[in-house]
Amino acid sequence: MTRHRIRWIALTVAFVLVAFGVVLAVQHRTEPSVPRLVQAHDPAPTFSLTSIAGKPVTSAALKGKTYVVNFWNSWCIPCRQEEPVLKSFYAAHHADADFAMVGIVRDDEPSPVRTYVAANAIGWPIAFDPQGRAGLGFGTTGQPETYVIGPSGVAACGSLGPVGAAELEAWLSVARSGGVCA
Amino acid sequence: MRKWWVAWVALAVIVVGAGVVLVARSSPSDSPSARAARLSSELACPVCTGESVADSNASESRAIRLDIEQRIGKGQSDAQIRDAYVAIYGEHVLLTPSNGGLGVIAWGLPVLALVLGAGGIAFAIRRGSRTPRLAATAADVELVERERASHPDEAELA
Repeated sequence: MTRHRIRWIALTVAFVLVAFGVVLAVQHRTEPSVPRLVQAHDPAPTFSLTSIAGKPVTSAALKGKTYVVNFWNSWCIPCRQEEPVLKSFYAAHHADADFAMVGIVRDDEPSPVRTYVAANAIGWPIAFDPQGRAGLGFGTTGQPETYVIGPSGVAACGSLGPVGAAELEAWLSVARSGGVCA
Repeated sequence: MRKWWVAWVALAVIVVGAGVVLVARSSPSDSPSARAARLSSELACPVCTGESVADSNASESRAIRLDIEQRIGKGQSDAQIRDAYVAIYGEHVLLTPSNGGLGVIAWGLPVLALVLGAGGIAFAIRRGSRTPRLAATAADVELVERERASHPDEAELA
């Protein structure tokens, strides 16, 4: 085999390897911090759930309001860390006529959830999602996840993971004005 | 000669027939439960690592399995169902790459590697059959010439 031919074969193999590396680099994805629903600013999915108090919690009843949906579990440590922020936020806004907040339990047993809610005096409605339909609609991939839905029903802002107080306030004000987060 | 021809045709018929039977038997079932099972195994559990919806017991996977059955009940096609989950979770929810976009590379690279490999083997065989395995060196030629010269009678006989 001539040296010229070996060079061509080596070059071809190198080219294929480089092309493969480029494809892998393009395919590599970093973990997103914003839910897909919020990235696309799609309409929030409908849900019809029952709260731990036995009352209906439906998206239809929240129509026209700016509302916060928080997916959580009682066993989830980041959810527990986030809970004081949610509590202060709810205390500041629960009296607003155009505001609502719902906690949806992703994957937990009723008993520990009830115990946790009572022990921490959580005031906003907490609902179970036994068949995971609400989680599927929102496309949840973990907990906690928080969505702020604007009056038009669009997923305006949100995050995967715990949310901060300033962030929540900013999201509420953007969503209330009919805007969406960048 | 004719007997050989008949034997080859018979062999070809057997091979083609076996292939047809194999393809017919391995074609996927269209029953709702078979479709649900197949789709569940084609989708990645959105909250797991390397597990399909069929294998996972995460709440999302349970919800997706239930949702797949309901979508099949509503008459949605496999493609419509896959697209629905891609819209919710993104392209990475598909365990098998799509037929478009970058998915073409995932399907095409093994084929390209096979073609290149087969080409390389064919080239090597062809080259090997043309080139003698051992080539006489100048020293070999000289040795033979010297021997011939020292035995002229035998050289003439050869």
